[in-house]
Amino acid sequence: MKIVLYLHMHQPWRLARFRFLDLGSGRSYFDTERNLGIFRGIADRCYRPALDRIQRALDSHPEFRLSLSITGTFVEQARAAAPDVLDRIRALTRTGRVALVAETYYHSLAFLLPPPELAEEVAMHRALLRSEFGADPKVLRMTELAYSDDLARFAEAEKFHGMLAEGWEGALRGNPPTYRYCATPAPTVMLLLRHYPLSDDVGFRFSSKEWSEYPLTAEKYARWLGATPGEVVGLFMDFETFGEHHSAQTGILDFLSALPDAVRREPHLDWATVEEAIVGPPHDALSVPYTMSWADQNRDLGAWLGNDLQRSAFEAAKKVGVVARQSRDPAILTDWRKLLTSDHFYYMYVSGHGADQGVHDYFSSYDSPYDAYANYMNALSDLRRRALERLGVPILK
Amino acid sequence: MSGTKESKPRRKTSSSAARRRSTAGKGRGKPRVRREKPTAPAPEPLDEFAGASVTGRSLRRNGGVVRTVAAPRPLHIVMVGWEWPPHHSGGLGVHSFEISKELTRLGHRITFLTPFTGPFTPVEGVTFRFPGEPTTTPALQYPPAYWTGGTPDSPFVDATDGYNSWVSQVGGLGKVDVVHVHDWFGTFGARELAQRLGVPLVMTVHSTEYDRSLGHPWDHILAREQAGIDAATRVIAVSRHLRQQLIDRYHADPDKVRVIYNAVRPSQRLEKIDPTKRVVLYVGRLAAMKGVDTFLRAAARLVPKFPDVLFVVAGEGPEYSRLIHLAAALEIGDHVMFLGKVSDEERELLLQGSSVFVLPSVVEPFGIAALEAMAAGVPTIVSKTSGVAEISSGAFQVDFWDADEFASRIAELLEYPTLRAAMGEQGRWEALREGWPERARETVGVYLEAMAARGRSP
Repeated sequence: MKIVLYLHMHQPWRLARFRFLDLGSGRSYFDTERNLGIFRGIADRCYRPALDRIQRALDSHPEFRLSLSITGTFVEQARAAAPDVLDRIRALTRTGRVALVAETYYHSLAFLLPPPELAEEVAMHRALLRSEFGADPKVLRMTELAYSDDLARFAEAEKFHGMLAEGWEGALRGNPPTYRYCATPAPTVMLLLRHYPLSDDVGFRFSSKEWSEYPLTAEKYARWLGATPGEVVGLFMDFETFGEHHSAQTGILDFLSALPDAVRREPHLDWATVEEAIVGPPHDALSVPYTMSWADQNRDLGAWLGNDLQRSAFEAAKKVGVVARQSRDPAILTDWRKLLTSDHFYYMYVSGHGADQGVHDYFSSYDSPYDAYANYMNALSDLRRRALERLGVPILK
Repeated sequence: MSGTKESKPRRKTSSSAARRRSTAGKGRGKPRVRREKPTAPAPEPLDEFAGASVTGRSLRRNGGVVRTVAAPRPLHIVMVGWEWPPHHSGGLGVHSFEISKELTRLGHRITFLTPFTGPFTPVEGVTFRFPGEPTTTPALQYPPAYWTGGTPDSPFVDATDGYNSWVSQVGGLGKVDVVHVHDWFGTFGARELAQRLGVPLVMTVHSTEYDRSLGHPWDHILAREQAGIDAATRVIAVSRHLRQQLIDRYHADPDKVRVIYNAVRPSQRLEKIDPTKRVVLYVGRLAAMKGVDTFLRAAARLVPKFPDVLFVVAGEGPEYSRLIHLAAALEIGDHVMFLGKVSDEERELLLQGSSVFVLPSVVEPFGIAALEAMAAGVPTIVSKTSGVAEISSGAFQVDFWDADEFASRIAELLEYPTLRAAMGEQGRWEALREGWPERARETVGVYLEAMAARGRSP
């Protein structure tokens, strides 16, 4: 059994409070200082310590493998707030045992926008990984692990060899998630699936004292991995799991350090990067005619586009995209793309109660989804106005 | 200021919309016919209204709710009524007054028959007839001793019998198109009158003897109800529920029973509000701690961008005149209306017609006005210092001193309809999910705690 540990590194450009009365003021939509402040904090608590632990694991365990995805907005903030974090990632990649994964530069929902937005954002991200880390990724992931037959076709057209997806029963139709699959509509694209129970044991449950398995030790976890039937097990989670979602006091960093040793003691376990794991014959072909994600109980796009606020904001962004592109103004286009980052829509999520609300509240940078929506729409309205001005279209209001 | 719209009495959008909702709007999916002023009189047989009738099939489907139809010419309606303002003991007098007023506005003429001598609040187009002429039956004096819990030989029943016999004989009415009787009081007379004039009888049933007597109906009245329902060509019930009761208990032919709901009318003051304007509302006392200054300063920021918005301040208090002067100083007098103290009914109507509610209090232990606005589904902005902010995640929360932020929040709600709808819905849910019963249970919890603290077991 090959263990594919894949960690996702992302920070969005959060918006400043952009008031309705700020329209036309030329004020920036993004609160750079606040974003960099948040980044510095997470770098202290999570990025530096966890990357250092991973470096030591790679040094002491030649069999240890890791895969990382790093968004463009993350790299931008790291350059300004903590460039040493990028140095640490570069050091990891130099071992040859850390694979990088391609995605949209802006961690966006570009796959729901008319072409060529998706292809352009993926190309931007590939260029970034090449220039920043000298990497040429073979595997693609979509924002929030979105996956569908259409996206597999896109990956094939863009010459990717593999994609990552959620190992969700609804899509597997009885197949186990612990094998390599190929995409029915694009058989050259191999699929690696997230084993969500084992991934969430670390990602969500690790520090929960109500959990019957608390505390989770590396030995216990390695035993579970060893007892799991199949060829490949996908442990996909946020990088921020290690030190941010679970603080260092919970023992999560020690768990990370202890894992390679514990895995070594299990006879049938081995490590693989995503690029290594996609090599070999597929167990079966999978067809996913709808868009699946790794979020919430429904594994759909409901976390970003589930309510009227979110859909209205996304439709508005889509429309503004037309004039933003026509304006051919790089600053306008960049601002628009920063507004496409999926986090902005996530902040507008409204749920009555239930398991997902706590997760959403934790990740939100606003007091309420209504604040998030109003602020976003103000920024978007201002952007539209700028684009129209640039195009010489008279503004009615 | 408040006086700017006085010369143009117009009805408020919200209330007329509410009225549409409560009558014609219920005919879901049916095209609503525009009401038009009747054209020149051209006497025609009543068959001219055939096109306006609703088929039995569709009637059953929509529960007897009628659509609005324009009459091709003015009608003369003889209304067999009972009481009329200023004197009224129940809803019937108000109903007769309001419906007659609107009917005359549409150009129709009404002769209102009543057993009482008046005085009558005059309405142009309504003629009052009461016993004394042309027959000799004595009329009743206001306030009459009319009460319903009596015996068949009570003066009350004698009085209605006298009234009925007068109605059946009343003359000098000229050309009549329809006789319209309300409830049971005059059904016997109305039946004979309609027959004598050769015109259809319409009966409105406001309530039934079964309901009024809590299941112990008085035969004397039942018979009068039944007579009216049987004789009427069309019966109007004030709710679907009542319509069903008429079908079930009085065996009324479902094809002839229509539903027309009652309505409320806005007070005269609210009629001053221009219906083409969107309303941003403050309701509360005009005291310094209420922060109405901030509301006005926010309004001043918005007036240039939103000329179609009216800022309404409802309430009275020591700051009243100072705030009026402030509005003038801010040069927004034309966009702010000071209503003074409003009644509960007026406040409800205001809320129905408002786009945004603002509670800008500097100090506000709770702020129930905001909770009421939320319950009415009006998106609400409160100051962070208000108590209500603690329980309302569906309301925008703003620092009480930040007029620009209040202005921005108001603008966002005016500008983004999806936001308005979502916050309205959320606020409604938050305001209504718990009520006084929960608060009472919590209070009992405190009693028990207090008793426990003093070492007494409950």
